[in-house]
Amino acid sequence: MTYPIISVKNLYHTYQSGPLQKAALVDITMEIERGSCSAIIGVTGSGKSTLVQHFNGLLRPTSGALVVDGVNVKAKGGDLKTLRQRVGILFQFPESQLFGHTVYADVAFGPRRLNLSKSEVRTLVLHALDAVGLPPRQFAQRSPFELSGGQRRRVALAGILAMSPKILILDEPTTGLDADGRAEFYQYILHVQQKDAVTVILVSHDMSEVALLADQLFVLHNGHLVAQGSPRAIFTQDTMLHEWGLIEPPLSELLLLLRKQGLAIPERVFTLDEASSVLQELRTIQHERNNV
Amino acid sequence: MNATPLIDIHQITYTYPLQMKANSPAQSLKALQNVSLQIQPGEFLAVLGHNGSGKSTLAQHCNALLIPNTGHVLVAGLDTSDKILHHAIRDCVGMIFQNPDNQIIATVVEDDVAWALAVRGLPATLIAERVEQAMTAVGISHLRKLPPHRLSGGQKQRLAIAGVLALRPQCIIADEATSQLDPLSRREITALLHQLHQELGLTIIQVTHLLEEAALAQRVIVMDQGRIVMEGTPSVVFSDIERLRQLSLAIPEPIELADRLRASGITISREALTVEAIAREISR
Repeated sequence: MTYPIISVKNLYHTYQSGPLQKAALVDITMEIERGSCSAIIGVTGSGKSTLVQHFNGLLRPTSGALVVDGVNVKAKGGDLKTLRQRVGILFQFPESQLFGHTVYADVAFGPRRLNLSKSEVRTLVLHALDAVGLPPRQFAQRSPFELSGGQRRRVALAGILAMSPKILILDEPTTGLDADGRAEFYQYILHVQQKDAVTVILVSHDMSEVALLADQLFVLHNGHLVAQGSPRAIFTQDTMLHEWGLIEPPLSELLLLLRKQGLAIPERVFTLDEASSVLQELRTIQHERNNV
Repeated sequence: MNATPLIDIHQITYTYPLQMKANSPAQSLKALQNVSLQIQPGEFLAVLGHNGSGKSTLAQHCNALLIPNTGHVLVAGLDTSDKILHHAIRDCVGMIFQNPDNQIIATVVEDDVAWALAVRGLPATLIAERVEQAMTAVGISHLRKLPPHRLSGGQKQRLAIAGVLALRPQCIIADEATSQLDPLSRREITALLHQLHQELGLTIIQVTHLLEEAALAQRVIVMDQGRIVMEGTPSVVFSDIERLRQLSLAIPEPIELADRLRASGITISREALTVEAIAREISR
């Protein structure tokens, strides 16, 4: 592994409300590789959102060490302003946060506060709109409120990309989008990750989405990091997933069932193409045996 | 099947008021275009469609939340265009929405279930009895004293269902009621709807964009641009995967796998639409 862009060591976070204390994160140690797409999965209340809010300093660790792109996030102090420029978070239903009269004004809101010249702001905004598939010529002067839900969500994403973040955190980014909206959104996320070398961190409970996009999964359960590994590795071991309140993507579930019923499907089989060809091979072998 | 439908939708058209003002070509802005549909008592119907296809608009016509511009809707014989009948119609057809927080009112679970009954001024003993039954039916009796904000998403959706159930409706409409839940709670809520259908004989209309949910219904209609474009049993509707894909619906990978294997000459029944059923067919 090269230099991790985020390194977490023995991180604890305890929420304090009056006399009540709740341990939201317990002894988390993990590293996120530069330029990767990671996903943090777990049921509601498992600590996913609490964890990612540490990554741009919205929350501070109660104890433990956290270094994000060279910036130390401690219980007190630290250069959080720089950190927040480098780490963009797209919250759930981000389209509800749009407020500009035009798409351009909305996306330019962040960059205008960076002490840049007008033309520099312009370059950032136009690049961001292009990156999310909203050609400026067609969309820049329109009101965000006359766009479709999927387009509005992409405007919100452009607003974050215009700040040129090094890390992009997406909290349940495709909830409420239909199949087309989802597929388009995935395309832009992958584009940003691969072309602009942005590190992407996905918070999601859509296991098919996670299997499709992420290189590395981190599973949280009751504030503990209980597993990490590639989607392939995580989704081929079923028993523990269910204990954590999760279910594997439907195809992995089907393959697990088939293995239980005695079909010789290798563990490495994970995608639709792989499954389809393995099952056809198995059928051919069976036929040949019957014919002998 | 029964001769008189519980819900009889006859050639309805609907345009949202704001869009009517805009001067764009009227044709494209109709949320519903000449839709007819009969729903029989005791039926489990799934309404499938992508965002903006008109499925929620159609659902809201089934309990007089929306009134058609032309055509008419009869619920248990009552015409939804008659305002005086709206209370009776909504007692007959209850609705649960995407976000349960939007229909939870009280500060304690059991009070919330009792709310609609109390508003109707029913005697206290009767309310207590119905609340008890509704909470038992959805499995939240053990949570009765909790404030709703302490519940998980799935538990909140159960609470919303209990609130509707306490009114003893004949039909429940679940409008994308699982789309904000995690996958496990999503399955539990769908299973609960099927349980209510079987045990209480309720008519259920499940509005969804997920094929895996629609696969469990008795009948499926697919909507696009304000019209019903496909209709039939799940096995009939899902036999045209290409068409469903064109209608912007995501095809679950197990169903797609079954389709590919079928194309390569392996026999897999078209009735097999769930992960379990497909697994049985493949390993046969």
